[in-house]
Amino acid sequence: MRALTRRDLLKVSAASGLAPALGLGSAVPAQAGEQLLVVMWGAAWIDVSRKIVDAYVAKTGDKVAWELHAGGAMAIVAKIKPAWPRVGYNLVSGWDPVFRAMIKEDWVVPVTLDEMPALRDIPPVFFQKDDKGQLMTVPLSTSGAFWGYRTDLVDKPIESIEQLLEPRFKGKLCVPFPVNLTGLLMLTLAMQRGGNEHNIEPGWQFLKELAARGQIGRVINNNSEFIDAMSAGETSVAFFNIGAWTQVRKQFPVKILNKLKDNKGFLFNEGFAVIKQDDPNKVAAAKRLANHFATPEINSQYNWPLGEGPTNPKSKANPDIADVFYAPDELPQYAYIADFDYMSTQVDAWAKRWEQEIAPLIRRS
Amino acid sequence: MTRPLAKPRISLFHAALLAPGVLIVLVLFVAPIALMALESFRPFVTGKVGSGSGWTLRNYAELMEPAYAFYFWETFRIGFIVSATALLLGAPLAFLAARTRRHRLRVAIFGLLIGLLFMSLIARLYAIQMTWGSNGPLAFFGTLIGVPARSAPYAAIQVALGLLHFVLPMVALMLVGTFQNINPRLEEAAASLGAPRWRVALTVTLPLAVPGLLSATMIALAMCISSFVVPLILGRGIVLFATNLMYVRFSDVANYPSGAAIGIIMLGLAALIVYAMMRLTRALAGAGAPS
Repeated sequence: MRALTRRDLLKVSAASGLAPALGLGSAVPAQAGEQLLVVMWGAAWIDVSRKIVDAYVAKTGDKVAWELHAGGAMAIVAKIKPAWPRVGYNLVSGWDPVFRAMIKEDWVVPVTLDEMPALRDIPPVFFQKDDKGQLMTVPLSTSGAFWGYRTDLVDKPIESIEQLLEPRFKGKLCVPFPVNLTGLLMLTLAMQRGGNEHNIEPGWQFLKELAARGQIGRVINNNSEFIDAMSAGETSVAFFNIGAWTQVRKQFPVKILNKLKDNKGFLFNEGFAVIKQDDPNKVAAAKRLANHFATPEINSQYNWPLGEGPTNPKSKANPDIADVFYAPDELPQYAYIADFDYMSTQVDAWAKRWEQEIAPLIRRS
Repeated sequence: MTRPLAKPRISLFHAALLAPGVLIVLVLFVAPIALMALESFRPFVTGKVGSGSGWTLRNYAELMEPAYAFYFWETFRIGFIVSATALLLGAPLAFLAARTRRHRLRVAIFGLLIGLLFMSLIARLYAIQMTWGSNGPLAFFGTLIGVPARSAPYAAIQVALGLLHFVLPMVALMLVGTFQNINPRLEEAAASLGAPRWRVALTVTLPLAVPGLLSATMIALAMCISSFVVPLILGRGIVLFATNLMYVRFSDVANYPSGAAIGIIMLGLAALIVYAMMRLTRALAGAGAPS
């Protein structure tokens, strides 16, 4: 008598519909397509991305697994480095300074308008480029970082961040650790006192005053911590990115201080980078998916709940964010594009200075 | 006259039996730490990820800044306080579990301790944050003891509370074994000679339990000082342990050499403390041994 082979078992179980239940194989032919691993932010970002991708997967047969950023997006760079070139990521979501670091390390595949037709609509200024001028990123959102506050928790309006030194804000400020947002906190404080990226010292002096007076109640590292701190009402004033502010604005009255007379808001782009892989089919599938996110309809769908501006001019922006972003004539007065290339070379020194000078002041205040 | 014991010799057969285990320890434990030690002497190139070529002591020199002593002090100080508190709370619980004749009480204590171990630490930390956090229903307790809920010392108290949740079940469960291994007849003998219960506990049970108590303290301390997630969630970015500094170096600024240097210093400090506690254990065990 012939022994039952694995093949026999599969045949029988497939016929009876048992195989899927046993996890032995599929009763229907497997869909063609590539398995992709995409790194995405948590909170609203992963929720909207999952919705978009579920429909995409059903249509194309490509499969997508997700991994979430742990901490700031820059952490992914430190995660890829020791594993390179054996990394499984196909697409990594990030923003300008993270992309600059990844391009420097030569981990990113250039993208072309021929392969990704949706990119034709996106203004060239939004792309990060390499030394040869090749497009290296897929810009999906125009985002920004601003000061803001919960109007239900602050008694009088804030017109200048100099007011944050007032006793009423003791323990009420939520600020990012200086490596987060590549040090934009330092820059906004420096600009308040007449400095800039290259003259950051006034920012440190301002920060020392805030820390010594006990104004800083929470130091955050990512969107989730920010949303948690601001939603719980643990802190009422903060400086962070507009995507995270939007999540708080859904639940609480918030005033975004994007048009301060004596300071500016910061603008930058978020999107995808396609990661180098040996398998050209995987790279092509990653580009297909990134292109899908950049198409007008999907770009609207993606940015709408995030409260960020779509990069595709054919997309519709969420009307709720009309007050957050600037009209073209307002840009010179209120908006600032930071020199992230320079700032990314400073974050190590800034992080150490924070640890040596600021954190002890906060701890003792 | 007794002959001195001959030193045990490891035969080829025994060495062959040991080899796989030694190899695993070398590959899994020693090699990563050795690589980390080497990395700590590499220079960091600003704007790059990881380390550059050559060798330097700069990563250690930077950590000699007085500010960093504060982080190490904070880590060990909170660790010691929590370990001591865990011992004070865990020892009576363990003693009760080991000695009680009431089956249901023993089951209840074990159920509580094991249940705590199985419950996600993250869930417990967020529960602490919701309850004791600056907006929690028990935040007023901070004000009662003169520590405002939004202050940094209050964040330190929350971190200590979180660590206590983490280590208390472990300490109590370890001590159950310690107390079970102490022959109850010794306590009964002391009691039958007229010693009151408190005296039996202090002069018989406690000295015999010293090695177990110190081992439990050592493990609790190791768990506390190496904890990353507890200060991360409950420290509000204000109470930072050495582990949090390491994470920032490795993860956020990709300065691996500096992160590695912090790791090696922590390892050295922990080894010193373990050594000191082992010496103490031996001394106390020697003093407590029946003559």
